[in-house]
Amino acid sequence: MSVTLQLLQGFEETLKVFALTLVFSIPLGLLVCFGSMSRIKPLRWLIRGFIWVIRGTPLMLQLMVIFYGPGLMFHMRALPRFTAVIVAFSINYACYFAEIYRGGIESISQGQWEAGQVLGLSRSQTFFRVVLLQVVKRILPPMSNEIITLVKDTALARIIAVYEVIWAGESFIKSGLIWPLFYTGAFYLVFNGLLTILFSTAEKKLNYFRG
Amino acid sequence: MALLQVNGLQKQFDKAQVLRGVSFTLEQGQVLAIIGSSGSGKTTLLRCLNFLETPDSGEILVGGKPASRQQFGLVFQNFNLFPQYTALENVALAPKLLKIGNKSDIQTRAENLLGQVGLADKLDAYPWQLSGGQQQRVAIARALAMQPEILCFDEPTSALDPELTDEVLRVIRGLKQKNHTMIVVTHEMAFAKCVADVVIYMADGVIEEMGTPEEVFDNPKSEKTRAFLTRRFDAE
Repeated sequence: MSVTLQLLQGFEETLKVFALTLVFSIPLGLLVCFGSMSRIKPLRWLIRGFIWVIRGTPLMLQLMVIFYGPGLMFHMRALPRFTAVIVAFSINYACYFAEIYRGGIESISQGQWEAGQVLGLSRSQTFFRVVLLQVVKRILPPMSNEIITLVKDTALARIIAVYEVIWAGESFIKSGLIWPLFYTGAFYLVFNGLLTILFSTAEKKLNYFRG
Repeated sequence: MALLQVNGLQKQFDKAQVLRGVSFTLEQGQVLAIIGSSGSGKTTLLRCLNFLETPDSGEILVGGKPASRQQFGLVFQNFNLFPQYTALENVALAPKLLKIGNKSDIQTRAENLLGQVGLADKLDAYPWQLSGGQQQRVAIARALAMQPEILCFDEPTSALDPELTDEVLRVIRGLKQKNHTMIVVTHEMAFAKCVADVVIYMADGVIEEMGTPEEVFDNPKSEKTRAFLTRRFDAE
């Protein structure tokens, strides 16, 4: 019972990292995506270079740089640990989401944009009222993949000493107990099971149209 | 004065000069058919009229004044309906977003337009539930909902099975009776012959021949037109 309570405490932190990362990275990803598709070449290449760096290096390294970097490089005060985790995760996931969004937006036929244009709609009206829902439908499967990965990536937070569920489970090893570690696995499984159901419900909801 | 005046339209893509000075006029209520082989510039001309391309030079006047986008409507070869909306929503979307009249008027008008194209029983159908011909008729109603002065069609039946082209052509014929001014880029020679008031044959970015259907089809002056028509009618 005390094991369960302690793991629940750890899992609460895990969920916080998960939820806050999503809240920030989903809209931030859209901005990054627009940047990477911008007609202004220097901006486009800058953003694509940024995506390359973020996707090309380990999240663990990014976490350490964001937490220790400001102090060691610029003699600034470090971000609070938890904040540093959210910043690093949000930037990292925004870049992955941006690429998923870009794929989704580019897969929509030019004809949809042109149809909006000849009817007199502005580009943003066409995007939000015509293109967006079609994009959402197409990107749901890769987004669910990425989001399930995020649930598990939260364990990396411990690298800068942010408490989470695996750490909670591991602390029982001192007392000679291995099963709490397996137990943490159950937390992940149940949560990801719920997410899977959620996403398949969303996919079914959008099945009313094709395109 | 002619409703539409096009003067010296030119358009170049990279190195290809697609339109080399296209000029013509069209009267209110007339139907213009544009024929020609692919690559002759007819689709680019239509896209310039609809502001999908910006001409390099030349002018487009409607009623003597520089044209605006709202004066033209376009029906695409591939319909380009919005898949997440029903037929009715497709027709009503733009008028709603652009606030053309109040909500119930827009709704009623959209229903009437769909009735006019013979789809009164398909108001709530999504595009995937409709045949190609029905989808194209929704697209026509959608274009009409914005009340364009000139309605353009870019090969409206090319993506359709032969047995579905008639229902679309019948709608276009019906619009002619209601005095709509229309420009139809088409491969349907028989249709052009019987519906158009004016026919333009385009080749290599210029108007090779322009006249009544009788003039262009029965007594073409240009050698190129004659050769094109022979090839066409042999194919049909």
